[in-house]
Amino acid sequence: MANRVAIVGIGQTHHKSKRPDVSQPEMGNEAVRAALADADMPMRDVEAVVSTNMETFEGVFLPDHWMASQTGAYMKPGFKVNTGGTTGASGVEEAFNLVAAGLFDVVLVLGFEKQDQGDTTAAITTCATPVWGGGFATGAIGEFAKQALTYMENSGAKEEHAAMVRLKADRGACRNPHAHLRLGLNTVEEVLKSGYLVWPIRLLDFCPQSCGACALVLASEQAVKKITKKPVWIADMVTVHQLPFRAGIFGDLTGKDHYSQEIAAEKLYKRNGITNVIRDIDMAEIYEPSNWEEMNLYEHLRFCEKNEGWKMVEKNMTTIEGEFPVNPSGGVIATNPIGATPVIRIAEAALQVRGDAGEHQVTRDVKTALATALGGSNWSVLTLLKRSL
Amino acid sequence: MTQETSQKPEYIFVNYSVPRIHRWSTGRYMGKVYKEARDNKRLVTNRCPKCGELMWHPEPMCGRCKVDAGDDWVEMSDTGTVLQYTYLVVPMWDPHRGERWANPHPLATILLDNGCYIYHFLEERDSEKLASVKRVKAVWKEDGERGNGINDILYFRAIEE
Amino acid sequence: MAEKLEHLDVFIVEGKIDIPNSYSAGAVGSKFLIELRDNKRILGLRCPTCDRVYVPPSSTCKDCFGELSEWVEVSDKGTLLSYTVEHRSNVVQPVSPPIVYGVIQLDGADTGLVHMLGEVDPKHVEIGMRLQAAFKDERTASLLDIKYFKPLA
Repeated sequence: MANRVAIVGIGQTHHKSKRPDVSQPEMGNEAVRAALADADMPMRDVEAVVSTNMETFEGVFLPDHWMASQTGAYMKPGFKVNTGGTTGASGVEEAFNLVAAGLFDVVLVLGFEKQDQGDTTAAITTCATPVWGGGFATGAIGEFAKQALTYMENSGAKEEHAAMVRLKADRGACRNPHAHLRLGLNTVEEVLKSGYLVWPIRLLDFCPQSCGACALVLASEQAVKKITKKPVWIADMVTVHQLPFRAGIFGDLTGKDHYSQEIAAEKLYKRNGITNVIRDIDMAEIYEPSNWEEMNLYEHLRFCEKNEGWKMVEKNMTTIEGEFPVNPSGGVIATNPIGATPVIRIAEAALQVRGDAGEHQVTRDVKTALATALGGSNWSVLTLLKRSL
Repeated sequence: MTQETSQKPEYIFVNYSVPRIHRWSTGRYMGKVYKEARDNKRLVTNRCPKCGELMWHPEPMCGRCKVDAGDDWVEMSDTGTVLQYTYLVVPMWDPHRGERWANPHPLATILLDNGCYIYHFLEERDSEKLASVKRVKAVWKEDGERGNGINDILYFRAIEE
Repeated sequence: MAEKLEHLDVFIVEGKIDIPNSYSAGAVGSKFLIELRDNKRILGLRCPTCDRVYVPPSSTCKDCFGELSEWVEVSDKGTLLSYTVEHRSNVVQPVSPPIVYGVIQLDGADTGLVHMLGEVDPKHVEIGMRLQAAFKDERTASLLDIKYFKPLA
């Protein structure tokens, strides 16, 4: 029978666009030290280290080797995970599996990305070889642009709704000391003034390129008793890898394909007796690389019916004070160090369950939280966290 | 040597850029696409025997059905309908070119008649006119200039139908 | 143009991946490099718990995980721990081959520093030989501000 696994330590860096003051290993080290301090635990108690990162962004092959002394992996079992956009969550799942299987009692997982060291879009473009056609890639952003257009056409959402999502994210980020973009936006008009990057995605519609790291300490039920009184239990994790959509990489333009988020959500909800999502779960930290995508994801994660995502936004249902808060931390659109981002989603959801999110703690009492991760091509990892099992 | 505390600290960067040269094999399946495009100016792909779907890119196995896809090759029309498009406003670094580039031709998802969805460029560069581009036909490169698979098509031209 | 391998029904597509990268040395690494450039001195960080000096400096001791801040100067002279000779050329090399790469333990350091050897015939290189850093006249805050390590006279 599998061990129960809880998060007992949470740490992250203050995410920024540039970190010239630290090398890549030193940046990871900051998050590791923060997580150990949060768990009140010395490094020698950590039994294994899982690192998650996407090498091509920094141009450092096998970074976990270079970073071993700074992540605490020296003379310990180390694992490296890279699954694209879901990288961080897959790393947490790896750590979860190691503890659940009874192989280790305490495992540290570190997600990091130092995006000032390379060119993000160029790196993403290398996912496609010229064998399939050269020059076609517009990076992830081109894909999201096409999806945004299709969402507008099918659902009736307007640019104003996307702007409202951006405002909500910024309000949360401004209350989150770790967030990257904390812009102090006040009105929809301010958002609509920002220029287009890849039409119709504006500069403000898309996530930034951040330098940051986030670490979690996971422990078995046995070890939890000696560590903390406030564990956050990982109730379930579901991973679904799909093929690229027939007509899209991150989204399906035809409306006929199944989103892996939807398939993963169905499985997660069924396994955990969740029948009314926004009633049975108290909040969500979802992986939304653009504000358009956030509205689309509300539908695929069954927070609402199809084509109604923008209505949740219009009714302010997903704000910090709302009925079903989504991304009170500011989300991916405020902070995106790619290898760390899914770990940040889980970390932020865990802080909400613990009641430790400070100024961006949601009004609703959080006993159960959902954290999602999304990557190309249509890969998903969903995590369900609970205050008690 | 002392440093003024009011001075900004000096941070050192190691800038490094060495192009990595690769030689990718198309494999047998994309190899057939390359051959047909170069020799016969046509697009082909294979069909899964179980679900009957045309696969793009052609592959030895159908990922959805998890069966051998085999060699049931189909010629796809080079005429189709635009499903969606986008265009670069800000130049992006293209790692295969080794430079920043804002391709002036919009990139579109096109459904080929009796075929699959493919990505390719549209000839129309005027963003005002793009929404009205629906039916398109491939413009192929000249003889002697082909041999690069789907890049043997220059772009798709709007047609009246 | 992709080259066709007729007997295999495949085409070989030549391409490249060329992405500009810029690595931060960080505050600790920068201090080390700036000392090389400005003062031709080699610094290390000392762990007081383990009594080890790391050159190049590491801000964390890998054994005790302590945060290190005690800077020490180490000698520009050291002992050769190991070496190899590269004869083939590669675009990533700092100089043309043949190159003698060595692992050198500088007096005062507890780690080996990887660098090149110079002013010595590769045939006469011996493990245990004593070496001294030879600095360039024009330095840019790079490890290559040390041109190479030459036999100690």
